[in-house]
Amino acid sequence: MLPTERQEYSAIVDRPPLALPGGNKIIFWSIVNLEVWDISRPMARQVIPAPTGQVLLPDVPNWSWHEYGMRVGVWRFFDLYKRLGLRPTLSINARVCLDYERVAAEARDAGWEFMGHAYEQMPIHKVDDQRGMIHRSMDLLQSFTGKRPVGWLGPGLTQTYETPELLAEAGVKYIGDWVYDDEPTVIRTGKGPLVTLPYSVELNDIPMMIVQHHESAYWKTRVMDQFKRLHQEASDRPKIIAVAIHPYISGQPHRIRYLEEIYQEVAGYDGVLHWNGEQIYDWYNSIARVHP
Amino acid sequence: MSGPPPGGMLPGERIAFDPIEGRAKKHLPGGARVAVWVIVNIEEWNPLQTMPRTVLTPPAGGAPMPDIPNWAWHEYGNRVGFWRILRVLDTMGVTAALAINGSAISAYGPIARAAHDRGWEFIGHGFSQRNMQKVPDEPEDIRLTTAAIAGFCGTRPRGWLGPGLTETWQTPEHLVDAGYDYVCDWVLDDQPVTLRTRRGPLANVPYTQECNDVAMMLIQHHKASEYRDRAIDQFDCLAADATADDSARVMALVLHPYIMGAPHRLRYLREALAHIKASPDAVFMTGGGILDWWRN
Repeated sequence: MLPTERQEYSAIVDRPPLALPGGNKIIFWSIVNLEVWDISRPMARQVIPAPTGQVLLPDVPNWSWHEYGMRVGVWRFFDLYKRLGLRPTLSINARVCLDYERVAAEARDAGWEFMGHAYEQMPIHKVDDQRGMIHRSMDLLQSFTGKRPVGWLGPGLTQTYETPELLAEAGVKYIGDWVYDDEPTVIRTGKGPLVTLPYSVELNDIPMMIVQHHESAYWKTRVMDQFKRLHQEASDRPKIIAVAIHPYISGQPHRIRYLEEIYQEVAGYDGVLHWNGEQIYDWYNSIARVHP
Repeated sequence: MSGPPPGGMLPGERIAFDPIEGRAKKHLPGGARVAVWVIVNIEEWNPLQTMPRTVLTPPAGGAPMPDIPNWAWHEYGNRVGFWRILRVLDTMGVTAALAINGSAISAYGPIARAAHDRGWEFIGHGFSQRNMQKVPDEPEDIRLTTAAIAGFCGTRPRGWLGPGLTETWQTPEHLVDAGYDYVCDWVLDDQPVTLRTRRGPLANVPYTQECNDVAMMLIQHHKASEYRDRAIDQFDCLAADATADDSARVMALVLHPYIMGAPHRLRYLREALAHIKASPDAVFMTGGGILDWWRN
């Protein structure tokens, strides 16, 4: 189905406001992304293009750049969230549970929410058997954590026109790919409805640092500008702010302080709930009754 | 190709070189020096075509279809961002111009109604957001766009902005045929100019690539505050230029809901407008009003 067949255009000002428990104003949703970059294929992103600009295989320097995140960077995240007492959402390629079991187990044992994020990092359009890949990923995450994920994020947020049906069929309840609102919404699929949660490509270290090439400190400036505006608007209707990070980017020594300072500054505001995707979904579903 | 095809003209045939130095003096109402116009662009991105812009490329590059994340990123502007921008413009008392794809009038009815209720000027902006050179029948595209706006507003649009400012060699002729008074694609001056076409004259009202959130945020990748800083610098310089030669200038400020309507960027739009609004040198108008003033 086309996106316009899955939902009707809806202006946010025409909807009744939702309400958060306890009179809270804003949900802060932290998402850590863990991926597998297969050395036999072109790398998902590049920090340094090869001389002459051509894609050469194997691409060892860019593979190593990403691998640093799994060896070192992600442990800065674990340390930060342990100190904060937060359990973020983990958007995880299922193959991470096999190739980097140590990392996946650390997140599982810390009680993080596991969100499906394909089997490995490549556009979903290039996956030969999409249905098989989705089921394989969901099954693997379920067997690793003991619980079937309720959420899904496409690799690079990619979908084909059939993806929502395949996700609903595999038991997914919410997706993060539709970054088109400040609130959860419901979309139609041939296999029942899906909830969309407002993930972010604005507060996301890939567009900001790798595509737009902003300075490290601008991460904090943009996130806090976004937070302050949404917190102000939340006196009229609750808002959700999503912040998406990758260990090979935000886990770098020169960037981690700006992430830490965001949480310090946000702690000074009232009405903030640090919820993961499943908690946001459960709250929204209890109001909208999308799924039984 | 050595020259334009029959029916078209080269830029140099449409307008002679004319430096701003030494031109006849023009005076704005109330002793203002700069006519400032704010153009809000409303587009409909067809999910069956390649997205006009992207915020996120797919892993390992390429342009796979469909492109849901970038479609959704733009759609955010129409569901949420526009309404945030509207509040700022309402608070500032700014009547803006709405450059709108013809198809967006029905796709985003609440936006068209909000703009019309406030007396904004509607400007044709192609029927859908795609390069005019890729549109199979350009006169028909212009006709459909004009009809969509006229049907909704009750009056025909006077101004036109090509999608991405794109034109074919014959666009100015087609616009004159369709009854347009002015175009905005010729970003070559700080004052209105007149273009020759084979169907009679067509004015151009200054638009901008410089104070334009697409160029600044998506192409040049500046941080959000640069929008404010650049707009202020632009305005101050134009006011000084106009004061120095006792004449007037036009300043355009361009925004798109999916860019400046993001929560983290909005304050910089507000702060830019607050600076301009506070200056006795500024008068807010829209394209049609600027053209009428220019022609006296």
